[in-house]
Amino acid sequence: MADVMTRLEPDTRAAARGLSDLSIRNLFIIPTIAFLIIFNVFPLIYSLYTAFTDYRASTSAPANWIGLGNFRELLNDPNIWRNFTITAKYVVISVTGQVFVGFGLAMLLNRPIPLKGLITTLLLLPMMLSPAVVGLFWKLLYDPSFGIINFFLGLGKFEWLADPQMALWAVAIVDIWMWSPFVMLLSLAGLSAVPKHLYEAAEIDRAGPFYTFFRITLPLVAPILMIAIIFRTMEAFKTFDHAYILSTQPTTELIAIRLYKMAFLEWQTGMSSAFAYIVLIVVVAITNIYVKYLNKAKAR
Amino acid sequence: MARIELRNIQKFFGAVQVLKDVNLTIEDGEFVVMLGQSGCGKTTTLRAIAGLETVSSGTISIDGKEVQDLRAADRDIAFVFQSFSLYPHMTVRENIAFPLRAVRMSQSELDAAVNEVAGVLGIERFLNRKPSALSGGDMQRVAIGRALVRRPKALLMDEPIGALDAKLREQMRAEIKRLHISRGSTSVYVTHDQIEAMSLADRIVVMHAGLLQQVGAPEEVYNRPANLFVAQFVGSPVMNVSDIAVEGGAGAAVLSFGKGTRLPVAGGHVGHLPGQRPVKLGIRPEAVLLRHAPEPGFVETETTNIEPLGSHEIVDVRLGDATLRARVEPGFVGDGQKVWVGIDPERAHFFDGESGMALRRTA
Repeated sequence: MADVMTRLEPDTRAAARGLSDLSIRNLFIIPTIAFLIIFNVFPLIYSLYTAFTDYRASTSAPANWIGLGNFRELLNDPNIWRNFTITAKYVVISVTGQVFVGFGLAMLLNRPIPLKGLITTLLLLPMMLSPAVVGLFWKLLYDPSFGIINFFLGLGKFEWLADPQMALWAVAIVDIWMWSPFVMLLSLAGLSAVPKHLYEAAEIDRAGPFYTFFRITLPLVAPILMIAIIFRTMEAFKTFDHAYILSTQPTTELIAIRLYKMAFLEWQTGMSSAFAYIVLIVVVAITNIYVKYLNKAKAR
Repeated sequence: MARIELRNIQKFFGAVQVLKDVNLTIEDGEFVVMLGQSGCGKTTTLRAIAGLETVSSGTISIDGKEVQDLRAADRDIAFVFQSFSLYPHMTVRENIAFPLRAVRMSQSELDAAVNEVAGVLGIERFLNRKPSALSGGDMQRVAIGRALVRRPKALLMDEPIGALDAKLREQMRAEIKRLHISRGSTSVYVTHDQIEAMSLADRIVVMHAGLLQQVGAPEEVYNRPANLFVAQFVGSPVMNVSDIAVEGGAGAAVLSFGKGTRLPVAGGHVGHLPGQRPVKLGIRPEAVLLRHAPEPGFVETETTNIEPLGSHEIVDVRLGDATLRARVEPGFVGDGQKVWVGIDPERAHFFDGESGMALRRTA
């Protein structure tokens, strides 16, 4: 009798709660899986299929399988290579800027200063804003006739966004402004994790400030800094919102903008799917290189 | 090699005064151990000598030159941290070479210096390993190597073996002593372990509450403690301390332990004690004597607890209001047995009941 009771017990307890552990688990997991499949997995697979067709979402014409046609056309198009070059230049300027500004800010904040918490919070604000809003108000800041930037820098009626050479820099500066706080945050975490006694040991060992920075601080922060760089590179590759709002120059046509135009203005759905896959492969390849460096830095 | 002098050192952390007028001279080549409980100011003193901590007032001089306003890097002093503080991303070789590389020593000189130190410490096998791949003892050897490699004026050590297990501690203690003897460098060593202090020091500095309690050779600190704190801090097991009343005078006297328990002693041993003031008797367990049969100067009592420690046993006996701990041969007596207890008056210490200062015969 007692044996029967013990075997029954888990079920009775579950019934008392109303739901068994298994059904609670399913309740949480099933919606997530469903969303993932509907919004991530299905589009990923479907777009892979359309990448090999001449499908246009704007017409009712059926999609024709054209094999590698889209890829061949894209990779032979000099304009696409120009978009890639522009994007690469943009990523380098923007990520480099973010690393220098962000790490510099972190170095400044990594010491006892008054109102440190408040200053850190204020510095984090830009990355919490919507990129579209950021684009809109930087457009005002850059305005040649009443923009505050020209006013403060005494540049007269300098055309930040209309100048084909300057426009990409202007867009990158906005990205640096917006995302340096992210690098700062991660760097700050890395810097504060360096044990204070190592600096004391270096001081005893007669190391100067530069030697200490390059031999102790930087190597120990490198892994987390590398993570920041990976994130920012991947994100910078996808930059769309503020760049699209700020400038219509061909010199600022990043791949995301070109992709958007191809997909939703020209309705070349198949072609743009192929393009998106090329971008994905490039980003994954670059990330892989970083991850290799990251692992090396970690091993050190 | 250096002579270190501390004059009137005071240190405040906010409103808390952690060092109260510390005066100490460490002679060239001497091994001085600063001994005290945590929070007594010993580590602060050491860090002040190294330049890792500023002092609020007072002067620190090394070889006659005042250094209290110099940076740690400019004092030419090496420091071994309790946490080892090895650079985790560098190999052992790079760690040891760090202080030499920081001052741009040539590669050939640097290699020679690193190899020499590694040989002395027996860590040649690990030179290409990272610190994380080493045991605690080897990490500390590397830390000591990094400190010795540049032949500093003085070597400061902050509980360098405190993080190691007991067996390794004993081994490293012997190694540190051997290194000190062979190199002859001025060394200041901080510990809370009185056995370490006794075995390593030329002189022990006992600190408590930011004050130096006693400075002296290990035997002196052990045999002639300046006050109750030193008496109870140095020595294991701890010295027995009990309130007593002294009755009688020059010829013969008795020490009353309360409840009518009185031990007679020769008057010469207690003649110097003040009449009306409370007095404490301090007696180390090895000076508490037990007998199986009555003898003059011994009183009857019972054992209340026995701690066997292998080479000897610690026996607790009641004596009036006090419990005395005696050190005896293993198996000398059983628990709850009748014994006769007495003390060796030559090795009895008397302290002022209020100030805790030692009351010594002036003769």
